[in-house]
Amino acid sequence: AAAFERRVLRRAAEHHYLRVRLELPDGGARPNAAQFKQLVVTALRELHGEVGAALPVDVLTYEEKTLSAILRVVSSGLVKLWSALTLLGFYQNRRCAFRVLQTSPFLLALSGSSRELVL
Amino acid sequence: MVRFKNRYVLCEVVSEDPRCRQCIEERALGLAVRDAIARVHGDYGLACCSVSFTVKYLNAYTGTVLLRCRKDSYRLLCSALPFVRHLESRAQRYPCFLNTLHVGGTIRTCQKFLIQYNRTQLLRLLQNCTNEEERQCIQKSLLSCSLTEEQSQSGDEEEDDGTE
Repeated sequence: AAAFERRVLRRAAEHHYLRVRLELPDGGARPNAAQFKQLVVTALRELHGEVGAALPVDVLTYEEKTLSAILRVVSSGLVKLWSALTLLGFYQNRRCAFRVLQTSPFLLALSGSSRELVL
Repeated sequence: MVRFKNRYVLCEVVSEDPRCRQCIEERALGLAVRDAIARVHGDYGLACCSVSFTVKYLNAYTGTVLLRCRKDSYRLLCSALPFVRHLESRAQRYPCFLNTLHVGGTIRTCQKFLIQYNRTQLLRLLQNCTNEEERQCIQKSLLSCSLTEEQSQSGDEEEDDGTE
């Protein structure tokens, strides 16, 4: 019988993926993709300064209708990005909030969510 | 042993403008450093470093500054020091920069380093002297700061000012 072997990877993946949704309760103009990225970088700059704003963050997909997006960030910057998104309160002087729906080090895991399973 | 550990960062203020010396005060320097931290590390960095942040010692003649901060956030402070570009006080603003000389755990280690550093700086100034009277001046001050057997023992060794 083959010996059982278990491998544990400590620094698993280089990037972390987040599925986020921006809530804008007042019905105003919706940001396009570039403005959305600008908003994310502004949030990082407010909380973590120039060092935070220089964090390599990518917006992989963005839907203007639902204001939801998939962000990719280097794994070491996940805490900074998530805390900056949590503490962002205003977009062009309008109240807003970021909701983080899913996060995973693998992009494939964001394709389905067990919360939306129809049983 | 559970106590709050601090780090003491020893720097010197270097400026081309000689009027910058009158600008070197605790309040102006503290504000300039805090402003640089806020720009580079944001609200979180500013709050982290401001916990136990003070300007402990200041010498306007030599431009020596000793800053204190918590051990957990001294890296944030040290990385923000190159971004201090001006010193402002009384509506006057002079360009300058901060040179980090030493980071120590106690004021005593920083003082030991500063004494050693000032000794080497004085010798270097003596070598770079251009005219004779400057040389005489520096030689006199070097000889006068040695240990004597009177009451004032070694009090002024680290406060010796090097001209320019």
